[in-house]
Amino acid sequence: MRPEIREYHYDWLMGGTLKTAANFPRGTKKETEKTYPYIPYFKNVIKTLVDTGDPGVQTLQLLAAYYENILTAHDKGKKCCATTFCNSPVILYAMDIVPVTLEMLTAIGSLVWKRGMFDYMDYCVETGMPETSCSSQRGSQGALLSGLCEKIDFAICDTPGVCDTNANAFAFLSEYLNLPFFQLNYPSSIGDDRSQKYHVDDYKSMIAFAEAQSGNRLDYDRLAEVLAEVDKQDALIADLEDMLMLKPTPINPIYNMMLYGGRFCFSGHSRYTKLLESMVKTAREKALSGETGLKNGKENLRVFMSYIDHYTVDLNFFNYLEERGIASVGSILSRNFRDNSPYADALAGSTYGIDASSPEAMLDSVAQMNARLPMVRSIRGPYDQKGMWLEESLTFAKMYQADCVIYNGTPGCRNTWGMLKPFARDIEKHGIPCHIMNDDAFDDRVESWEVSRERLDEFFTIRGLL
Amino acid sequence: MDEFYDAATRLNCQAIRDWQATERPIVGYTCSYTPGEIFHSVDILPVRLKGIETEGMEIGDTYYGPFICSFPKCLLQLAGKEKFMFLDGAIITPGCDGMRRLDECWRKAAEDYKGILPDFFYYFDVPHKSENHGMAWYIEELRILIKKIENHFNVKVTDDNLADAIKVYNQGRRMLQEIESLRYRDDVVVSGTDIFAATVAGTVMQREAYNQALRRWLEELKNRTTSLSAGKKRLMLIGSISDEIELFRMLEENNDAIVVGENLCFGIRHEGNEIDEHGDPVEALGRHYLQSSVCPRMYGKYKERLALLKQKLDAARVDGVVMQNIRFCDLHGAENSLFERDLEAMGMPCLKLEREYGPMIDVGRMKLRINAFLERLRV
Repeated sequence: MRPEIREYHYDWLMGGTLKTAANFPRGTKKETEKTYPYIPYFKNVIKTLVDTGDPGVQTLQLLAAYYENILTAHDKGKKCCATTFCNSPVILYAMDIVPVTLEMLTAIGSLVWKRGMFDYMDYCVETGMPETSCSSQRGSQGALLSGLCEKIDFAICDTPGVCDTNANAFAFLSEYLNLPFFQLNYPSSIGDDRSQKYHVDDYKSMIAFAEAQSGNRLDYDRLAEVLAEVDKQDALIADLEDMLMLKPTPINPIYNMMLYGGRFCFSGHSRYTKLLESMVKTAREKALSGETGLKNGKENLRVFMSYIDHYTVDLNFFNYLEERGIASVGSILSRNFRDNSPYADALAGSTYGIDASSPEAMLDSVAQMNARLPMVRSIRGPYDQKGMWLEESLTFAKMYQADCVIYNGTPGCRNTWGMLKPFARDIEKHGIPCHIMNDDAFDDRVESWEVSRERLDEFFTIRGLL
Repeated sequence: MDEFYDAATRLNCQAIRDWQATERPIVGYTCSYTPGEIFHSVDILPVRLKGIETEGMEIGDTYYGPFICSFPKCLLQLAGKEKFMFLDGAIITPGCDGMRRLDECWRKAAEDYKGILPDFFYYFDVPHKSENHGMAWYIEELRILIKKIENHFNVKVTDDNLADAIKVYNQGRRMLQEIESLRYRDDVVVSGTDIFAATVAGTVMQREAYNQALRRWLEELKNRTTSLSAGKKRLMLIGSISDEIELFRMLEENNDAIVVGENLCFGIRHEGNEIDEHGDPVEALGRHYLQSSVCPRMYGKYKERLALLKQKLDAARVDGVVMQNIRFCDLHGAENSLFERDLEAMGMPCLKLEREYGPMIDVGRMKLRINAFLERLRV
C-alpha cells in the first residue's frame, strides 16, 4: 500500500465525508448549488441523492450514522462485529453490538470515492487473499487488514453453504487478525422441517458465541422491541413492493438501493423505519397522481436485476437508468420475504413470520428471517430447484412485469458464475430476454462503466427493448 | 506398480473394465467427503472422478462461467465427451462452489449432449461444520443417501455389510499409513510419485483387489534398501485438488528433490486415518469423514489444519513446502497464504504457486520457480 494512503484512517475518512454530506442538504438551495463546484468528485453522488428528495437526504444521514456508530463503539463500551450483508444486524442491535458490514463499507467507498476502493482491494491481495476473491469484501477487508480502521472484536458470517468466497474472506480476516470467528452454515434446501431446525440450532450457537464475545446476554425484552420495529419495517417494505408493481412505478430506481442498504445497516432500528416512511410517503404521492418515479417522467422499460446493482463511482448505473427511462423492479437484494408478501404463495416455504410471544418463538422468527436474507435464501441449492434462484427470478420478473432480466455481480462470485450461463438460458426459454454484465459491481478496473453502458445499450437495442 | 499407474493415469483403466465385465454398477463421486464404504458394502464400485485426459475445454467453458477453477470444468468436459459413460451413478458434493455447480452444469449439458447423465445423479449435501447439529445433519444425509442407493440399485445396506466394508477400507488405510511412515526415514526408498499414484489408484480400484496389490507392494518396499533421498531436498506438496501424477514427477524428475509428503484431497491425508469399527457404522463414517476438517471448506478450522500440517512436516523432516492453488480456487489460495506466513515464521521455506489444473500447461513456468526454490533450499 502506498504510504500516502496510510496517512488516513479509513473509517474516519469515510465517516467524516458522510457526516459532512449529511449536513449538506441543510443549507438553502442557493447554498447547495454554490457548494457543488467545491466537491467535484462527490458531486454526482450527493446531487443524485439530494435530487431524490427527503429519502435521499435520509439515506445520507443513515450512512453517516452507520459510520458514527462504528467510530464511537469502543468509546461507548460496545464491541464491533465484522459481518456480512446477508446476516441481519437485528440480533446484534438486540445485544448492543455494533455491526461492521464489509460489503456495505465496500459499496459506500466505491460509490463516494473517486478512486474507488482499489488501493484497499489491492492491499487485501498483498496480505494473501487471492485477487480472484470477491471484491465486495476485498475492499473493506483490505482497509481492515491494513490497520486503518476501528478495531474489530470478532467476526460472524453466514455464507458457508452458499458463497465460498464470502465465507472464505471472513475466515481469512479472522485468522489474519486473530479474531474469534463464527460461521452460520446453511443447508442446500429451505422451507422443509429439517432445514428449519438446522437454521434455529445454528442460530442459537451463534447467539451463544456473540454473548461470549460481547459479554452481553441476549435481552429478550430488547429483542421483542427490535422485532416490533422489524415488523413495522416489513409493512412499509410491503407497501413499496406493492407500488413497484404499478405501471409506471412510482419507485425511483435508487430507492431499491436505499431499501436494501438501509436494511443491511439498520434493520430493526428506528432510523431505517424513518427512511422507509419517507420513501413510502414520496412514492405514494407519485402513485396517487399516476407519476413514474423516474425523474425524466417517462417509464420506457422495466428491468429486474437478478443479482445485484452496480456500485462504482458516481452512482453511474442508477443515473443511466434515469437517463434511459428505465425502471428497476429490484434485485435479489430488494425483497424481504415476509410471509404476507404478494410472492409468498408463489414461493411457498421461502418466507418468514414474526412471532414475539415467547423467547423461543422470537429465536425461531429471527433465525428463519436470517435464513431468508438475500443470496443465502435462494442461491444455496441448485439454481433450478424449488424456490431457488431461477424460480425466484422468474416469479419476480413476471409478477413485477419486467421486460428483461439483467445479471450483474462480481467475477469473485463463484456461486453464480458457476451456473450463470445455464441460468440465463433458462430465463430466455421462458421468453424473457436476459443480459449478463461482465463488470465488477465494486471495481471499475475489471470493465469500465463506459463499456458496461455500451453493452447495456447494445442489449436493449438488439432485443428491441428500447 | 503398473496396476496403480494404470488406475491413476487412465480413465478407462483395467480396474474399471474388469468391474464392468461383472455387470455390477459403478458410481462416481467428486469429493473426499463421500464415503466409498457405503457403495462397497453393496457391491457397487465407487470411483472418484478425475479430470485427467482432458483434451479441450469447449464444453466446460460453455456451461461454466469464465471465473471458475479448471478442475470441475475438466470433469464437465469429460462428461460431455462421453468419457464417463461407464458410470451408473454420480454423487455431486458441495466441496466448493465450483464443484457444487457441476450438478447444474452436468444436468444442463445433458440437455444438449444426450445420454451423458448417469441414471442415478445425486446431490449430497455436506455441511461446513462438524459440531453437534452439523454432524447430525451429515449423518442424516448419509442415511438418506443410503436409502436412495437402496431404492435405485435395488440393494440393501445393512449395518453388518457396512461394518465389513469399513474393515476392508481400514486394512488399506493401515497399509497406506505404513507406507507413509517409510517416508519418515532418513533414507526414503520410495518416490513421492509412486506413493501418490498408489493412493490415487485406491480411489478407483475395487477395494479388496487394491488391498492385495498394496500388500504386495508394501512387502516389496520393506525389502528395498536403495535410498532415493540421499542428497536430495525433502519436499511436501499441498493445496488445491490434484490427481496429477505428473505434478509429482515434475518435482522429482530433476533428481534434486523427493516428495516425502503431500496434503492433497486425493492423497493419504484423508485415506490414512482409520474408521472406528465399533458401534453404529453410519455414525462412525460420519465422524471420520466430516470431523477430519482437513479441507479449507471447513471454515474456522485453520489452526487445526496448521497443527496437522506441522505434525506431518516434522515427521517427514521436510525441507520445503510447495503450495499450489488452481486459479479461482480461493479456498486454498487464501489458506496457502496463511500457511506461508506461519510456516515461514517457523523457519520452513515455502513456495506458493498459482496454476491451472490439467495437462501441465504451466509446466515451464512452474519448473522455473521450483528450480529457484530448490536453489533457495540449497543455500
